[in-house]
Amino acid sequence: MKLPAFLRGTPQVFRQELFASVKSVRFLIMALVSALVIVGGSYGISGLGGGFGPPPLVVWLHPIVDTNGDHIAVAWAADPFGAPVAQGTIVSFEDLNTSTTLGEVPTDSNGFARLNVGTAPVVAAMVRLGNIPAASITQWGSPPPVDFFFLVNQNDLDQDGGYDDLSMQVVDLTGAPVAGRVLLNATEVATLNPNTGFAWFSLPPGESNVTLEVAGEPPLSQTMYVGDSGGATFLSGPDFVLLIIATLSTLFISIFAITITFDSVSKERVQGTMDLLLSRPVSRTGVLLGKFLASFAAVAIPVTLVNLAGIGVISAASGKAPTGSFAAAFVGYSLLLIAFYVLLQLTMSTLAKTGGTAVLFGVLIWLLLNILYSIVTLVVASVFSGGDPATFFRIQQYAALGNPSAVVGNLISLSAPVDLGFFGGGTTLDAGLFAGAAVFWFVSLFLLALWTFQKKAAE
Amino acid sequence: MRSVIDVEGIAKVYGGSHGQRALDGVSFSVPKGSVFGFLGPNGAGKTTTIRILATVLDPTEGTVRIDGHDLREEPLAAKEEIGLMPDEVLFYPTLTGMQHLLYYASFYGIPRKDARARAKELLDQFTLADAADKKLKAYSHGMKKRLALAQCLLHDPQVLIMDEPANGLDPAGMRYFRDLIRWLNSQGKTVFLSSHMLSEVEQLCERVGIIDRGKIVAEDTIANLATRLATGAPTVLHVTASGISDVALQAVARIPGVAKVEPTPSGVDVSVEAGTDVSADVSKALVLAGAQLRELRAEQRSLEDLFLALTKGGAP
Repeated sequence: MKLPAFLRGTPQVFRQELFASVKSVRFLIMALVSALVIVGGSYGISGLGGGFGPPPLVVWLHPIVDTNGDHIAVAWAADPFGAPVAQGTIVSFEDLNTSTTLGEVPTDSNGFARLNVGTAPVVAAMVRLGNIPAASITQWGSPPPVDFFFLVNQNDLDQDGGYDDLSMQVVDLTGAPVAGRVLLNATEVATLNPNTGFAWFSLPPGESNVTLEVAGEPPLSQTMYVGDSGGATFLSGPDFVLLIIATLSTLFISIFAITITFDSVSKERVQGTMDLLLSRPVSRTGVLLGKFLASFAAVAIPVTLVNLAGIGVISAASGKAPTGSFAAAFVGYSLLLIAFYVLLQLTMSTLAKTGGTAVLFGVLIWLLLNILYSIVTLVVASVFSGGDPATFFRIQQYAALGNPSAVVGNLISLSAPVDLGFFGGGTTLDAGLFAGAAVFWFVSLFLLALWTFQKKAAE
Repeated sequence: MRSVIDVEGIAKVYGGSHGQRALDGVSFSVPKGSVFGFLGPNGAGKTTTIRILATVLDPTEGTVRIDGHDLREEPLAAKEEIGLMPDEVLFYPTLTGMQHLLYYASFYGIPRKDARARAKELLDQFTLADAADKKLKAYSHGMKKRLALAQCLLHDPQVLIMDEPANGLDPAGMRYFRDLIRWLNSQGKTVFLSSHMLSEVEQLCERVGIIDRGKIVAEDTIANLATRLATGAPTVLHVTASGISDVALQAVARIPGVAKVEPTPSGVDVSVEAGTDVSADVSKALVLAGAQLRELRAEQRSLEDLFLALTKGGAP
């Protein structure tokens, strides 16, 4: 089959370049590192469930009133799973109305610290361990409807990505921990530690009836609801992991594409093979297309395999597959990002006279699109917003359209389930606008690479 | 004789319209089946011209036709007719000699089996058979030169464009290439040969073109150029004699056509105006003035003299 004149040379250059790329040491290194980053990252983050995890230190603070009517602040400091802080840990109490420190009290062997705060109506208790601060606020008001105080935290203790774990701490009216148990739909799921009054358990999806039974008191029941993707589990595990992986992957893919493409043209000139190539019956468009497709394939094939493997690992590790459309968008838009960087780097490689300059151009391109662009848009937004925060915000939003990397990042985050949106860097712009920008960038970068190659490939 | 390369008024400007003008109105033609020598000092525009002929560079102005195909209008047809052997090619270091030839053959639509046979034949012919499956990083300079020649013959082109084919080779290697070029020419190939080695050009080429500062300063056969130069330039008679007195020198200086007389340790050098032959008068005057004449020799003008005269002394 005879190819049209403008495609003459494409298949030959494609085969040769692809063959040379996949046999190179740099390809092997980048493929291995990408597998480590994407598949390893997927496994590692899925193992944690993809949630942010609970805060490492928690202070629980109860508003006790003693027999004289004095306010007693009873603080209990522990890790999120109920292990008390070491005895002697300082708890600092502050009157929030007057912003004065009321006292510093060391904890007892069970992690409790108590302070008579007089008539202070709103008090904060603060603890600092290492570089982790934790604080809690309590307010004295009407007495509780039952004869004990209980506090509840909803968290992602098991780090499965769902904020469906309840932890609670219960003290009696004197501030002493109480014994008791927790029933979930009439089945016991946890017992209160008698030394600390603490218990934790996970809620199943859907509606549950949670009952707290404290010795000598009537049971206290409440209905709780955990949605599949909303409500308590607005961060559904696998999608959240995929979003983190996608962010990592887009940074890494650009490096992979630059590494494979950076000397695609400059190397031929240095070796003297460019003249031999261009003196053949080939068109320059055909040669450039062959080089583009070869570099694209050399990056796209391993990256796609690794991305699919990553999705598989996320599904296997978390027991639930990411949302299909999000996963497909991640895989698809990654290909678009590869195309952008390959085209950009082909242009740079054509302009570079030596291998060293080609490497330098590659590093600069990466820095420009991944770091410098944000700084520049920040400066531009500051200068042109004239101090108006709304204008500043809008300039920054629209600036994303001017960066091919940001366009792909936003397209991926816009494909994420709605409740993940605010973790994706976020944009208020329409997905159609980004799709248009993606087409614009692809066409522009291709034409730029082609024009540069036509003019400069041999000079 | 029909020409196979026709170059008309080509110019090449690097770096935009106000950039460096590497070629300026270069025109010449190369007869079919000839070996055409292309000479010029460093930076004169030789390699730029060669790269334009090989379709690697586009000229800024002018036209080039290879076997009648205009490079702008029918570049692919022209490319089928040429084989380029550049001066310095490092090739792809991780490919073998055979892989190189198969890769380059693939551009001409030669079936894989035929390409392999042709590559093997060329590797045998250029004594590279033992290195056929070795990667290029193991090739010596001479082997790369031979591979560079093999790759430009793969598709049996009519026109061979060679840039310094014997550059960097030892005497045996140079001779090998000289013989090869003669053989290729005997097979009907037209060879466009750029070379620093003037003696090589003198031995191989009927016609030469000399380029200087981007312009063709001469294009003709070597014999015609020598004659043309001789008619316009002074000749020097080297006289070996003893007993040359001042009277003898004055007698020689008075001979019509003598421009300058310079005593030398072995005798005297007499510069003679162009187009005059005064050797008999000079010998007679010296003998009559008492000198013992042993030899009188008119200086022979070599291609090197031509080159130096035409390029104002530029190094080839």
